Amino acid sequence: MTTAITPHRPGVRALLVLVGCEARMVVRDTAGLVVPLGLPLLILLTSAGSAGNQVVADGRTALEVYVLPLVVTMVVAMIGIINMPSFLAYYRRSGILRRLAVTPLSPALVLAAQAIVSVAQTLVGITVAAGVAVLVFDARPPADVAVALGVLALTMAAMYAIGMLVAAVAPTPNSAVALGLVTFFLLGALGGMFGGRQALPDPLADLGGWLPFGAAVQAISSAWTGSAVGGAHLLGLGATVLVGTLVAGLLFRWE
Amino acid sequence: MTSSEPAVLAENLAKSYRHIQAVAQVSLRVAPGETMGILGTNGAGKTTTIEMIAGLRVPDRGRVRVLGLDPRRDRARLRQVLGVQLQDAYLHHALRVSELVELYRSFYPDPRPADELLELVDLTRQRRTIFEKLSGGQKQRLSIALALVGRPRVAILDELTTGLDPAARRRMWTAIEQLRSEGVTVLLVSHAMEEVDRLCDRVAVLDAGRVVAVDTPAGLRARAGTDTLDDAFVTLTGKDLEEAT
Repeated sequence: MTTAITPHRPGVRALLVLVGCEARMVVRDTAGLVVPLGLPLLILLTSAGSAGNQVVADGRTALEVYVLPLVVTMVVAMIGIINMPSFLAYYRRSGILRRLAVTPLSPALVLAAQAIVSVAQTLVGITVAAGVAVLVFDARPPADVAVALGVLALTMAAMYAIGMLVAAVAPTPNSAVALGLVTFFLLGALGGMFGGRQALPDPLADLGGWLPFGAAVQAISSAWTGSAVGGAHLLGLGATVLVGTLVAGLLFRWE
Repeated sequence: MTSSEPAVLAENLAKSYRHIQAVAQVSLRVAPGETMGILGTNGAGKTTTIEMIAGLRVPDRGRVRVLGLDPRRDRARLRQVLGVQLQDAYLHHALRVSELVELYRSFYPDPRPADELLELVDLTRQRRTIFEKLSGGQKQRLSIALALVGRPRVAILDELTTGLDPAARRRMWTAIEQLRSEGVTVLLVSHAMEEVDRLCDRVAVLDAGRVVAVDTPAGLRARAGTDTLDDAFVTLTGKDLEEAT
């Protein structure tokens, strides 16, 4: 009897249907979008006026060198590290993952669907923030768009890898939000979210440059201004993707 | 697996949670096409037993085979032919009934048509209703529909009709009888004696994590020397199923 059962894994169609369902869940449950999309925009609106007039290097303003890279990184990090894992933790707590665990669906497809929907949310957030910066505050687009998009993709992958890790280990939705917030603020503090990294003690400032938030801010800033993206920053982001994905895959639980 | 082998085989299963022994010694053999009921009071080990059979929990001891497959090692193959209705499983709360059915249909190579499924569980009129707006009984019926969406060869149904009104209960019984006629092997956990009596070829009675009897409903009555399955259960376990649940 077993030989008659041909292995069949749900594929692209299942993934597309799952992505559609996840997207509907997000659209119908909009409260979670207010902070990650609203807060970076608020920071942009409150600081862009003065930063947009302050030229800091090569004709580039503080808005382009400091504020926009920070805002973009914040959007990616908040959605990747806080929103996405809290959704997954809710799924686990409520029994949704447990129900899916007795279907042919693989955990990888559930995580992939979550990541795809999160990426879409992130792109909306970044488009809104960058659009406002360009249209309202006369910010110029990145000097090298291709490099900027590459760095953005790597940043997203790194933040989602951390988010997957949070989702894999958090036992409850509350703990996922708490763990996500702590991780977000810790990485943000070391990465210059509350002021430049140069204000930190040297060892912490160096560490912050390697960790994904600081590395992302620096790499996006370099890409925006057209200077060479630091290898250490790319290495930090790449290592985060690798370690986060591997460990999340090993630790993922349906319940 | 040959035709003489059981569709579901559980040998000497044991499972503890910290200091609580949920299942002490459970062995079951369910023949292909058979409907096996599992009866027991709360805490008797019914749900833990079927969760080990479904591969959701790893036994501390013992062995499980479903259609000859190991539920953990052969997870991918088994999930294609196993339909499971869980007691407490929840679904995406903001999705409509039709969206949930389409989602679960997408997991299987040859799913049942959505209209047929909704008709089977009498949810056609609720197809556009958001899951969290459904009544408890409607959620239960949707959960049953999703267990059957992939045309399972083995169906595990935990508390099939608990919380359903009499009309919905009879409708579910008809659905299970239809499964039987299609040759589907069914493991049915239930507290409803009338349901077990009507649907099950044989019944396993669990008490304190052990199988205390396995027989046909008529055989259990005869063994206990009683007229009803209720009384047979009391005689075999010393517990009243209605009071204990």
